[in-house]
Amino acid sequence: MSAEWPQAQPAWRVLWRHSVLRLAAVAGLLGAGCVAWAAAPAGPAGPAAPLITALAAVCVAGGIGQLGTARVALPGPGSYPGAAGRLAGWALLRLRQLPWAEGTVLGALALELLHPARPWHTAVLGAALTGYLLATHLAESTTVRGEATAVLRGQAPVLVAGLGLLVLAAGSAALPLAGSAAAGVWLRVAAAVAAVLACGLALPV
Amino acid sequence: MPDPFPVPGDPAPGSSPGEPGRQAAAPAANRPLSWSLTRHARRLLTLALAGLGIAIATGRPEFAGAAAPAVLLLATWHRQRPAQIGLAARLTATRMIEGERSAVALSVGGAGQHTVQVVLHPAHAITPLPGPAAPPGRPAISVPFLVTRWGRRRVGSAQVILRDRWRLAEGSAELSLPRVDCYPRPATQRTRVVLSRLPTRLGEHTARAAGEGAEFGGVREYVPGDRQRSINWPATTRRGRLQVNTFQAERSQDVVILVDTAWENADPGHSVVDIALRGAAAAAQAYLNARDRVGFITYRYRARWLVPGLGQRQYYRIAEAMLAQDRNWSQDTGFSRLPRVALPPGALILVFTPLMDPRLVETLRDLRQRGFPVLVIDVLAGEPPVGRGRYARLAQRMWRMEQQAIRFSLRELGIPVTHWDGEQSLDLSLAPYTRRVMVTRR
Repeated sequence: MSAEWPQAQPAWRVLWRHSVLRLAAVAGLLGAGCVAWAAAPAGPAGPAAPLITALAAVCVAGGIGQLGTARVALPGPGSYPGAAGRLAGWALLRLRQLPWAEGTVLGALALELLHPARPWHTAVLGAALTGYLLATHLAESTTVRGEATAVLRGQAPVLVAGLGLLVLAAGSAALPLAGSAAAGVWLRVAAAVAAVLACGLALPV
Repeated sequence: MPDPFPVPGDPAPGSSPGEPGRQAAAPAANRPLSWSLTRHARRLLTLALAGLGIAIATGRPEFAGAAAPAVLLLATWHRQRPAQIGLAARLTATRMIEGERSAVALSVGGAGQHTVQVVLHPAHAITPLPGPAAPPGRPAISVPFLVTRWGRRRVGSAQVILRDRWRLAEGSAELSLPRVDCYPRPATQRTRVVLSRLPTRLGEHTARAAGEGAEFGGVREYVPGDRQRSINWPATTRRGRLQVNTFQAERSQDVVILVDTAWENADPGHSVVDIALRGAAAAAQAYLNARDRVGFITYRYRARWLVPGLGQRQYYRIAEAMLAQDRNWSQDTGFSRLPRVALPPGALILVFTPLMDPRLVETLRDLRQRGFPVLVIDVLAGEPPVGRGRYARLAQRMWRMEQQAIRFSLRELGIPVTHWDGEQSLDLSLAPYTRRVMVTRR
């Protein structure tokens, strides 16, 4: 019985598999998809939509740049770059510090808000935004091959529960009763309690 | 002969453990942790609050649904976090050559199930290298770094970051790291300049005088007292009388390496001082390997010296002296009063200098007039920046002519000047003087 030689893979495929660029590309595509999904169709969104779309697109591009340059080393003490090098270092530092992903999230939600109520469309946007944030997080923090899969596998039950709530919320919004005054009050109370819980979880840190 | 250059991590002979920069390991100490949200948690919080806020303000429940996964992910984190951790840092090597790697071995205690990441905040001339994050439960982590320039310098500080399982909260603590001694990387030098007159001390250089060395000198007639084993039988048969082989003596020489550190140019790491010290390290290594006595003098507005010595210990003394600023030196304001122990009679003086300081040039003339054989290795790389305009070019031409005049006057005095750019082997620059003995003229 003769063992088969492993076939050599193209360099681009090896680079793609072992590179953080793959996760960065996934995050960028998800971000761009979220903005495009929230902006479409452009007609009913009103005159502010193009400006918000442009800002959100800038945030997506900034996020891609942030993830793509995460491994680029800044000149440390003892190095003496020229004026162009100093400017590039300053720009890279700002690129890393600005909250691009938050801008993308807020832009996409604002675009969705400008449209009339469309529950299932908003639910898809919510799922895509969660995926975008997870992909961004994995792209900037993954150092070992297979780490992203392990993290996602660990969070899978929570994500499934969250998606279940998302479907319930969208379904309840699609019901005709949801527009009544009493249902609206209960919904607002529940949302306020959830917001207070989220703040309570995060702020004591 | 063992290589006198230090192996990273090995203690050098003559080193005192209490001296600053020698302590590689710091005892474990508890450090308080400051906790904050990770960027991931901040983003999830943004999505959660924005979605819930829109739902409250507009009464559209689908936005609350969009925020639900983020709210649930935020709810998963653990509130049990250590308030402090035990940290101990150790360097895998505290002595190294320029361009060599070392690593900070950090042991972390009390991190529990948190992931530990160490970020090195480097000091001057320290370049951190990528290292992996420690998985949960592993107490030790190693962060490699590179030292790019010689000197006795601090590594910097290490920031230890703990992250929980979901990477929603991170705690950080900072730790100062010990110092390292980085010696100049010696250039390549295998050949040596040997004088025609050598002191009567046993060594490895072939002298002109007859002696008991291994180098064949000639054949002469036997005289009573000659050893029988030195009889040359073929010559005896041809001449009909007893002939004996004669051999040349093997002597050592005194070498004094003078480094001019008074003038700097270019970026750190590529300046004339860097080139001069790398050349001096190579020369010291080459002559000490040949069992010569090597002394060391630096010139920076005043002279400082180490008396000539032999062997590995002397190499360490020279290497340490290169790093020392004001310690371990004998010093004087000029060369005229240097004692005999610093400049032994007949010693070969190798001078690494850019020949920019007129006082040093005068000193070289004085040394030559006192009868010392001097060889100047010119380490000047590049020229001063030239401005625009006719006068700038004129000034550049005058500067070049002045430099040529200095070198010409030294050659006229019998001081050979050879240029070395710091990149190629020193053997190439010294080739005209290493192929034959350097004749000492008084």
